[in-house]
This record gives sequence, C-alpha cells and structure tokens, in this order.
Amino acid sequence: MSALREVAARYRPSYLARLPQEVTSFLVVALIGTVVAFVIPEFRAQEWSLWVIYGLLALSFTFVWGHAGIFSFGQAAFFGIGAYAYGVAGINLSNATGESLSALVVATLFAGIAAGLLGYFIFYGNVGDVYVAIITLAVTLVLLTFMSSTASPKYHIGDALLGGYNGMIAIPPIMVGSFTALDSRQLLVFCIVLAAAVAFGLHILLRRPFGRVLAGVRENELRTQLLGYDVRRYKLLAFVLAGSIAGLAGGLYAAWGMFINPSVFSLQQAALVAIWVLVGGRNSILGAFAGVAIVQGLSSSLGEGGGSWTPIVLGLVLIAVVLFLPSGTVPTIRSLVRRRLNRSPALPVSQEVTIARRRELKDAELEGVLAGGRDASEAQSLRANRLTKQFGGVRALNGVDVNFLAGTIHCLIGPNGAGKSTCFNLLIGRYAPTAGEVLLGDRNITKLRPDARARLGLGIKMQVPSYYGDLSVFENLWLASFARLRSAGAAEGQATRTLGWLGLSAKAESLASALSHGEHQWLEIGMVVAGSPSVMLLDEPTAGMTREETQRTVDMIRAVSRFATVIVVEHDMEFVRALGAPVTMFHQGLVFAKGSIEDLRRDERVLDTYLGRSVSADAAN
Amino acid sequence: MQSDELANLAISLLTTVSILVVISIGLAVVFGMMGVINLAHGEFLMLGAFFTLSGQRAGLNIWLAMLVAALGVGVVGLAVERLLVQFLYGRLAATMLATWGLSLILVQTVVLIYGPTTQGIPTPLGSMKIGGYSVSEYNLVLIAAAISLLGLVYWVFTRTRYGTMARAVTQLPNMAASLGINAKGVNMLTFGFGAMLAGAGGALLAPVAGVVPGMGQAYVGRAFMTVIVGGPGVLTGTASSAGLLGSVDSIVSNLTTSFLGTAALLVVAIVLLRVLPTGISGRTGRQL
Repeated sequence: MSALREVAARYRPSYLARLPQEVTSFLVVALIGTVVAFVIPEFRAQEWSLWVIYGLLALSFTFVWGHAGIFSFGQAAFFGIGAYAYGVAGINLSNATGESLSALVVATLFAGIAAGLLGYFIFYGNVGDVYVAIITLAVTLVLLTFMSSTASPKYHIGDALLGGYNGMIAIPPIMVGSFTALDSRQLLVFCIVLAAAVAFGLHILLRRPFGRVLAGVRENELRTQLLGYDVRRYKLLAFVLAGSIAGLAGGLYAAWGMFINPSVFSLQQAALVAIWVLVGGRNSILGAFAGVAIVQGLSSSLGEGGGSWTPIVLGLVLIAVVLFLPSGTVPTIRSLVRRRLNRSPALPVSQEVTIARRRELKDAELEGVLAGGRDASEAQSLRANRLTKQFGGVRALNGVDVNFLAGTIHCLIGPNGAGKSTCFNLLIGRYAPTAGEVLLGDRNITKLRPDARARLGLGIKMQVPSYYGDLSVFENLWLASFARLRSAGAAEGQATRTLGWLGLSAKAESLASALSHGEHQWLEIGMVVAGSPSVMLLDEPTAGMTREETQRTVDMIRAVSRFATVIVVEHDMEFVRALGAPVTMFHQGLVFAKGSIEDLRRDERVLDTYLGRSVSADAAN
Repeated sequence: MQSDELANLAISLLTTVSILVVISIGLAVVFGMMGVINLAHGEFLMLGAFFTLSGQRAGLNIWLAMLVAALGVGVVGLAVERLLVQFLYGRLAATMLATWGLSLILVQTVVLIYGPTTQGIPTPLGSMKIGGYSVSEYNLVLIAAAISLLGLVYWVFTRTRYGTMARAVTQLPNMAASLGINAKGVNMLTFGFGAMLAGAGGALLAPVAGVVPGMGQAYVGRAFMTVIVGGPGVLTGTASSAGLLGSVDSIVSNLTTSFLGTAALLVVAIVLLRVLPTGISGRTGRQL
C-alpha cells in the first residue's frame, strides 16, 4: 500500500491540473442519470441499476485486460468476495450504525486485499500470461465449490450465515443513514454516480504516468522491465485496483438483491464479464457499459420471449462476435463513424526525414540529454568474476573474467554459440549465473533483477528489436526518460531533447512501428541514452543497417562513450574496427583473446576460429 | 493404524487422484499440445456422461456404452475443431470466449433433450470387504482406468506416426508444415483425441456422479487447477499434479471435512505456483 501512496503522491501536481475536464463530464453524466432515473418506470430503474453494477464489474475487467494486459478471470471472484464481504459486514454492522456505506467500503477493501494476495503469488512468481488466465479462473471455480459447502449453520461470521448453495439472506440494502433504504430510483442514481466517478477516475489515471507505464507493460513487458520499471509492482497495483472496483460492484450487487449465493463464482459469471467487455470493446471505458447493455438487454428480451433458448442464442451471438467483430462493437462503430465523417487521424508524414538522417550529430544536444537525467550518473565500470552458466548439460559460459573500465568502449565478438549472448544476458540479469559474480562499480549486482540493475544505471538494448510498436516515437522515449526521472514534466523535456539528438523530431508522433529499420535501432539507442545510464550494453546495434547508417551509429556510440561505459556485442567487423575499441573474443564459453582488432587479426588462433583468412586479408587491404 | 484402515485410506486416496486424472487428461492434451484453453471441457465431460446414459438406456452393456460415449465425444470434438476452434488458434481470449459460448449451447441443448433433472446410472459391480471396511469395486475400476488412459496417451504420442507428428506440430508448427506434415489435420486430430479423453472421463464419472446438464461446472475448476499445476508436460504433469493435489485433498478431507480439503487443494496449488510458475513439469520443457 505504501507503493500506492507513493505513486499517488508523485503524480499529484499534474493530476490536479487536469481535473476540470473529467469533473465536468462526471457532473453531466450524474445529472443526466438523475433525470433518467426519475423519468423511467420503476421496474426499469431496478433493472438498469443492475446493468450499471455489472458495467462497473465489466469496467474493472476492461482496465485489467484492455489497459494492463492481464487476462484475469478473477474479476468474478473479486465481485463475489466483495458481495459476501458486504453481506457479512452489512449484517453485522448496519444494525448498530443504521447505514451500509461502511459495508460497501469493507467490500471494496476486502476484494482489494484478496486481489493483492492472489496477485502477489501470480506476478511475483512470474507466472506466464496463459497461466494467469487459468489460475484466476481456477481460483474462481474453486471458490464456487468452497462457498457451496458452507450450508451448515456452523459456518457463520458474526450474525451472518454463509448459507452454502442457498446463499446468504437478509443482506441490508444501501442505506445512507438512519435505517432508511434507498428506493429503486435513488439506488439507480447512487449506482450511476459511483460508476461515473470510477470511470472518470480511471480515465484520469490512464492519462497519468502510471497509466502510460501500464501501457508500456501491456505493449512490451520485457522492454519495460529493462527500462528500469518493476513490472511486477505495476501489474500488482493494476490487479489490486481492478479487484477493488470489482469488489465495490459486488457490494452493490449484494445490496441490490439483498441476497448473494455462490453462483457469482460460476464459470458462467466469470466468462460473462469477459463477454460484456469483448462485445463492448476491449479498451473502451464506455464499451464496458455498452457491452453490458447489449448482452443483458438481449438476454432479457429473449427471456421474455422463448425462455429456454436464451443460452443457445447468447452462445451463438458470442461466437459470432468473436469470429466477426473481434475488436468489439464500440470501437467498430467509432471507426465506422470516423470513416463516414472522413476524419481518420492521419499520421504526420514528414519530408524532413532524409534531411534529419544526414544531419550532423550535435554534441551539445547529447550533453543536454545526458545532463537531463536528474542524477546523471558518472560512467562506472562493469566487471564479472568467474562467470559460469550451465543449461542442462551444456556449459554455455565457463568461468569468464571480464572487466570493462569506466568511460570506455568495449566490443564482444565471437562465433555463434561462443557465449556472447549468454554473457550479455548474465550481465543484464535475465539469467541467473550458475556461479560467479557481476559487479557494477564496487557494487555486487549478481542477484538483482534486470529492472533493479537498470535503476542503478545499466542501459540495455537487446539483440531482437524491442520497442513499443503501437505507441508513438515520443511515448517510447518518454517511457525511457520517466523510468529515470520519475517526473512527467522532466521526462517530456528529456524525451524532446533525445528526439532532437536522434534527428527524429519530425517523427515524434508517428507510431514506432512505422519507422524504418535503421531508425528503430536508433530509437532503441535513444531509449537507452534517455535514461542517462552509467553503463550501456548494446547487443548488435547495427544489425541490418546500411553502411551509411552504421557510420552514423558509430558516431553516436563514440559520442555517448564520453559519458558512459559502452559494451557492444557485434558480428560486423567493419563496425568493430570503426569503433576502434578494445575487443574481447569469446570461444566455447571462454574468453579466447583480448586486444585491439588489429592485434586479433595478427593472432593465428583467432584467424582459425573466427575471422578467417581470406576475408581478413581482404579486409586488411 | 490398522492395516485394513490403511488399505481403505489408500484406496480412497488413489480414487481421488484417479478422478483428477480422468477429468483433466483430455484438457491436458488440448492445452499441453495445442495451447488451447477449452472452456467447454466440462461440457465434454458432461456429454460423455450423457452419452453413456443414452447408450445404457438403449440396452448397451455399461462398459460398451462408456466406450461408445468416449468415441462419440471425440467425434463432437472433431466437429468443434473444424467449425470453431481452427479459426481461433493463437487468440487466447477469443478461444476462451468462443468455447464458453459453446459450453452454454451444449448445456442448454442437453437440458432441452434430457430435461434439467439429475439422472442416475447405478454403480456397476458391487462392493468388497477389506477388514471392517466396505469398498466399492468401481473405485478400483476408476484407478485402473486412470492408469490405462495415461498409458493410452503415452502410447499414442510416442508409438504412433500421428503422435510423432503431433509433437512436431506442437513444437514448431511452421517447420512441421514445411516438412510436409498436414498441421491442420494434426491439430484437428489432437483436439478430437483430447475431446475423446474428456468423454471417457465423463463416462467414467457417470456412475459415481449425478448426471446433470450442469455437471461439467463441478469438475472443470479442479481439472484446470490440475493442468496448471502440472504444467506443459501432458503425462508427467497431469500424473504428478493429480497425485499431489489428489493426495492433499483426500488426506485433509479424511482428517477434517471436504470443505477444508478443497481449501487445502487451492492453497497448495497457489503456493506451488509461486515456487514453480510453469508447473511441476515446467522445468523439463514441453515433452510428454
């Protein structure tokens, strides 16, 4: 929870600055809701209250799946936990207090705590995506079995009997005070106001740094981790928040029906949540409520017609949506309307690109970028002692000692399978070594996770392209800057400076996936530099580049090396020679040779194992 | 502890484990080999039970009825793969939602045909005495059936031409396809085989469980739990996790109540996943 407070405190200033727009929208929705509630017939008010409650539950799933990328079937479980918590707290407290809002708070908190416990095991255990879905589903279904077997009167909490299959009865309705329950119109208003508050709250949150980092986690979890974000914590926070919202909805649900039974934990309920969201649209806050209205409206109108065919029609509709409307109705309609109005958001096309590419690198800009880091670190050394990594029976790295001095460039070369990438992954912390240690400056970082190493000043670019393809170039750099600066405004400045240095300013608003191959590599180097690292590890930064692009990359790396230690893994000997840096050659899991590239060219053994004779003879000319 | 008490406990424990194996082996094949999360798995179990019921009412011998039921569910599985699942490979959420839609349809169709009430199949065989305890002989059948189903899966995936191709498609579908393996056909067969195993599981449950259209719900949670805890290894994973979870459930249930048994199963499963996030067989990789 302290983390939550920390996040809240950190984002407060700009949060306040943005408040008005959402507050206005919230007031408008609340007003319309109130008018509607007193115009429609009473039975509709009752039905629509339920839809709004379900909409809130769907919204929790939209947030956790559509925005945090966690496919959690557990929303139904937290909904149910919230409902039971409301029941227990309401039955025990409201006789004394005459209100049941405290029970609603208990429901929200209790579901949040349950989500925290489950989420801790899931996210801190690094459970894979598919498993998260099944674990949350299995927990929900086991809760179904669990709550169903509490029929005996000995299972009670205070005055509240759990009731097993038959459910918990005599749950108090929503009472604001003095033992008076809200009537169905007032309840609808109450639900709309709460749901609108949550929805606009999420809307704000998603535009704040926390929401942007969540987008990063969703788009590319590994990249986000390597930038220095503790991905586990962000996912856990999102999971807890979604769990609390589901718990709040559950409490409202129990109050609405004054009854709760274990069927809230059924597969039916768990999947229904996902269906509402899928029908409405995965990312859309409005879609959560629209999806509920469509699905529940359809099934209730079917229910009035031919009862027993309802599930079959519903099942068919669902399959049809999955097959034919994969992005959901609200986004589909929105894009149709947009096409009709002919205002598709065109990506800025720039003619300056070629100019930018040829532009000279300006050291002054780079200094600005590197000084932009709040505590721009000094270059540090990176050492490894007797580093060993064993995969099953294969010893990929066999007791390697390397020492990369502060403020210099180093190249790692070697044939495929020599242990370069293993060494790289051990240095950045993606693998844990079988033996040996890694030291950053004087600090032993052997046991640290990659994000902790990144926060200590390790900047990492992986071999495979790793950026946020569906975010803009600016957002990519912003995420990299924010990881270090922890201030939205400062990160914007830093991202702008880095764009300038890279010569990509004209493409700031393009999607990163729309860049050319060479620009991708530069963007990634820029993302490393924006974090003002003290050590940069670059795995094959020139792979697939033209000669011209390679030369520009050489200039970039040389410039950066005046501020940070740079370690480059490369296959391109032309590039290695152009860098003119000391070379460490790996072979069969050992350091095979060290020295300048010229020294290695003269080494008979190196020529035999890696560089080759005729090629090296040609290259020497 | 008396030896007859011990024998009785052992049989009850093995029965719990065997039930976990028979309800989850089909799911493990479909999930472990194809990565498809089939939310209609519980309904495949249910269909197996209802097909057995129909077979028996049509005058078939109970064992023959079970066999026919398993094959029948296998055919249903083939059809489902062709009509639905094949369009959704690689789309996790979409697969789950579509198969859930399917489960709705299956449950309601069965309700329309058989009615919503619980149907019974008398437990075949009698019971025998072990010391002072009376043990249903059908429990021994369940244990033998669980072992046979595991054996069948092992045989199919290691000793048949189809099994080798299925493992190849699992590892690298594109490579397998470029080697001339009909990946589509193999996927269809694997899904059908998984469905058949689920049908067999449901058929075996029919005499000991109430045969109701909603019965899949009661088992699908535990089946999923067994498969996740087991990890990607179809055989090693299912056998070891059913063994572990079944033992925990059975021992705790015997010592206290079945309520706490279920709770213990849940706690053990979640704690285990903290330690072994990819399941018991996760370390050994995607093998049988």
